[in-house]
Amino acid sequence: MATNSNGDRGQNWEAQLRKGCLEMAILASLWQARLYGLEILRALSETSQLEVAEGTLYPILSRLKAEGLLDSEWVEAEAGHPRKYYWLTAPGRRRAREMAGAWNEFSEKLTVLVQPIVGVSGAGGKER
Amino acid sequence: MTPAQSSDARIETYLSRLESALRGVSSDHKDDILREIRAHIMDSAEHSVDHAGAVDRVLRLLGTPEDLAARYSTECQLERASRSFSPWLILRTCWQWAKLGVKGTLAFFVAVIGYSVALSFTVSVFLKPFMPTRLGWFSGPEGVGLIIPRHPEVMHEWLGNYFIPVIAAAAFLSAIGTTQLLRWMMRKRAPGLAIPTERSFPVAQMPGEAAIKLRG
Repeated sequence: MATNSNGDRGQNWEAQLRKGCLEMAILASLWQARLYGLEILRALSETSQLEVAEGTLYPILSRLKAEGLLDSEWVEAEAGHPRKYYWLTAPGRRRAREMAGAWNEFSEKLTVLVQPIVGVSGAGGKER
Repeated sequence: MTPAQSSDARIETYLSRLESALRGVSSDHKDDILREIRAHIMDSAEHSVDHAGAVDRVLRLLGTPEDLAARYSTECQLERASRSFSPWLILRTCWQWAKLGVKGTLAFFVAVIGYSVALSFTVSVFLKPFMPTRLGWFSGPEGVGLIIPRHPEVMHEWLGNYFIPVIAAAAFLSAIGTTQLLRWMMRKRAPGLAIPTERSFPVAQMPGEAAIKLRG
């Protein structure tokens, strides 16, 4: 039982971690290009392993737009129906830059901290 | 009915349930949401051989229309309230927010205490003309503060003729102060924390949550 609950806690922590990064990941996916919802989902799942459910993404996009970080426009597509493209506004770019900076600093320090753990288990893994 | 027709019917049913679940959303915004979700379903199923299966899959990933609508309204409510000056909207939003975590609970307590103080100051301003000697800002054996002591003769009243203007100003300031503090808390909430957590949406109903947990 104890192992189970520890496992649940580990998974829960990982889920919280991924969720906490979601907003930054969405802003980052729009850094270089205008994308529509499905493209954002694909970009997130391909580059960052962030499997986001459709039902989670669209409400967040709607809030980010209400906060003025994103803007959007309907564009007629070859598919026969229009698609809603999103892009970063100036405050959105600023926020993305701040978040990326904070993330970088934070992850660099933590990487140093966890290095002994990862190093040992990595070496152990190789030996076997 | 061909499979294509039946999956079209499922899309229409989904969208009409979503439309009725999006109560309180302005009609422009609602149209925009429905249009976007429709485009998403069509894009997702577009190139797949098994069209009906693909539609089923995307509808499952979107969650039930009611869940999806609830996520839209939670995401938008904090944003709307953080721009609002209506204590009622702010209080209601804090109540919703409180269900999502510690920060929201703290905001809710700030809201309840702050607005209660403002309300009691306001009520006493209106009561003062009816009980000029009994109600006041007293200090003495029965306590200190805005009270109606049983024996006013043993107490010292501090404000005298200034009671109404001073307490009215205090009521105004505490209402404005509470509102501004809560608006600030709503705007300052850490990114990502406003995303509904499994506490507001049961894990079983959130395919994304399950995907996040199982992956890796």
